[in-house]
Amino acid sequence: MCWGMWSMLEILRTHLQSIAPDEVEVPILQPADPFLETAGEDLRRRIFITETTSGQVNCLRPEFTIPIGMAHLKNAKPSRYAYGGMVFRQERRGASEFEQVGLEDLGNDNTVEADAACLNDMLGALILADIPDPKVTLGDQNLFGVVVESLGLPTAISQRLVRNFGDPELVNQLIDQLVHKEATAPNDVNLDALANAENRDDLIAHIENRMSNAKLSSKAGRSAEDIADRMIAKAAEGHFQLAPERADILRKFLAIEAALDEASKVLINFASESNISFGSALDVFQTRANMLKGRGLTYKASFGRKLDYYTGVLFEAEVNGISVAGGGRYDRLCTLLGADKPVPAVGFSISLDRVEEAKQ
Amino acid sequence: MSLIIAIPSKGRLKEKTLEIFASAGLTVELPEDERSYQTKIEGREDIEIAFLSASEIARELAAGSVHLGVTGEDLARESIAKADDIIDFEIKLGFGHADVVVAVPDSWVDVDTMVDLDDVAADYRLRYGRRLRVATKYWQLTQNWFGQHGIGVYRIVESLGATEGAPAAGSADAIIDITSTGSTIRANNLKILEDGIILKSEANLIRSKTAEWTPEAQALCVEMLSKIRTSLNV
Repeated sequence: MCWGMWSMLEILRTHLQSIAPDEVEVPILQPADPFLETAGEDLRRRIFITETTSGQVNCLRPEFTIPIGMAHLKNAKPSRYAYGGMVFRQERRGASEFEQVGLEDLGNDNTVEADAACLNDMLGALILADIPDPKVTLGDQNLFGVVVESLGLPTAISQRLVRNFGDPELVNQLIDQLVHKEATAPNDVNLDALANAENRDDLIAHIENRMSNAKLSSKAGRSAEDIADRMIAKAAEGHFQLAPERADILRKFLAIEAALDEASKVLINFASESNISFGSALDVFQTRANMLKGRGLTYKASFGRKLDYYTGVLFEAEVNGISVAGGGRYDRLCTLLGADKPVPAVGFSISLDRVEEAKQ
Repeated sequence: MSLIIAIPSKGRLKEKTLEIFASAGLTVELPEDERSYQTKIEGREDIEIAFLSASEIARELAAGSVHLGVTGEDLARESIAKADDIIDFEIKLGFGHADVVVAVPDSWVDVDTMVDLDDVAADYRLRYGRRLRVATKYWQLTQNWFGQHGIGVYRIVESLGATEGAPAAGSADAIIDITSTGSTIRANNLKILEDGIILKSEANLIRSKTAEWTPEAQALCVEMLSKIRTSLNV
């Protein structure tokens, strides 16, 4: 077969299909709801939405991962899917319609191996796309989670930090707020006292009373119990203040940037200086790093993506400052789409218009 | 005609605008034919007045088919994405005051701020099998505001009227709506978040950046703005 006759899309898709042979079909016209439910309302202005005369809300395929996750729900066995085609997005630097190719690896329990394979497959595809030496940055959500946990923060605050991983500005703001805590305006003195005394029953009675005044159904949405529990947790949290030296541990961690081949050493030093333990998260990191040895990747502790369904390793390839490809582990996606238990998942995508731009 | 100004076609917004224009020495001639929506400033052949609905005015300013227009900041920011690139808010006119606010049921005693709402939204799906729902007619303002506060996981439920009733009706958990005194919000057993004021809106004289600005139109605009500023003492 003569490659010269083929478009870049065909070359890459054929290559990826040869290493990820499970078949999946992703039509261009997609129901919008799964995208908005999983990626959030914020996605709405970045996709093209179109409504049928009967009011069904569809969108032009903005990416392949979510539809492939949906298709995989009906499939019990581990699968590797390759894809390639046009995707459509608004508010993006560059064209609104562009070609994307990629690979999704779903259901493989050996997650470390799957992570490394996925990254290697991305690098292989980029070589085929004439990008032999991209600058690849790798982050790890789990390591951040462990550092946060080791600080002994109240649960809600830990979750807030982890949730915003990948948005350095917000994370820094949250850390600052924890150190320089401003007193919040007192609520209702009565309710605050009940919460401080952890008087759950009276608090619930109060809340139920307000709910019934507002004719709020106790079945729909937040229950009085949930509200009371969070109120009590928040009261306890209200007295919490982060010691500046503990905040520094977090800031120091987020500033780490090293060659991946050296990163484990750097992390071990950091852990011993800061007197924290990464536990098994570091073993996972180290095993994966070993599998990727010599590929010239960079580990950046603050690198992440603020999407609800990402769970572990994240990576991005760029050339001349242009991001051409990216991916990561998203074990939470299938559960969000309706799977009854978590499905291990990792994948990457390459944007072909960016590849062209980067080569110029 | 070389300068086109859009003015609200009815109600208090119209009356107040005409008052302010008149005290600046710019009396708007009422059209001879009541059904006509076009007229001019008394004694001025060079300024055209178009009566339009307040939300149309925002759209026409964005499209550049009028040079100046009077409408609420809330409507302008809602109907024009990246409003500050497209229009200039020239003069706050001191009427049509209303705040666009985030409000939650007052039984949510644990939720006082946007950070609290973020916490609640984050595990809503896990706990209740669906995302937190926000009823509003302000898509744009809501998305910007929630985005600024790092909240991505929620759903907007479009509400074109009686938004305050959405939580009791079970169609939403929280609302984003306009209020001038807060009384409707309180009457519906809702409370405004401490940092939940998205926008303190009022009627504005707005200049379109996309309209065709001939030197003559520019000169007329400067004249108009200065007369109104002087009269309002701003």
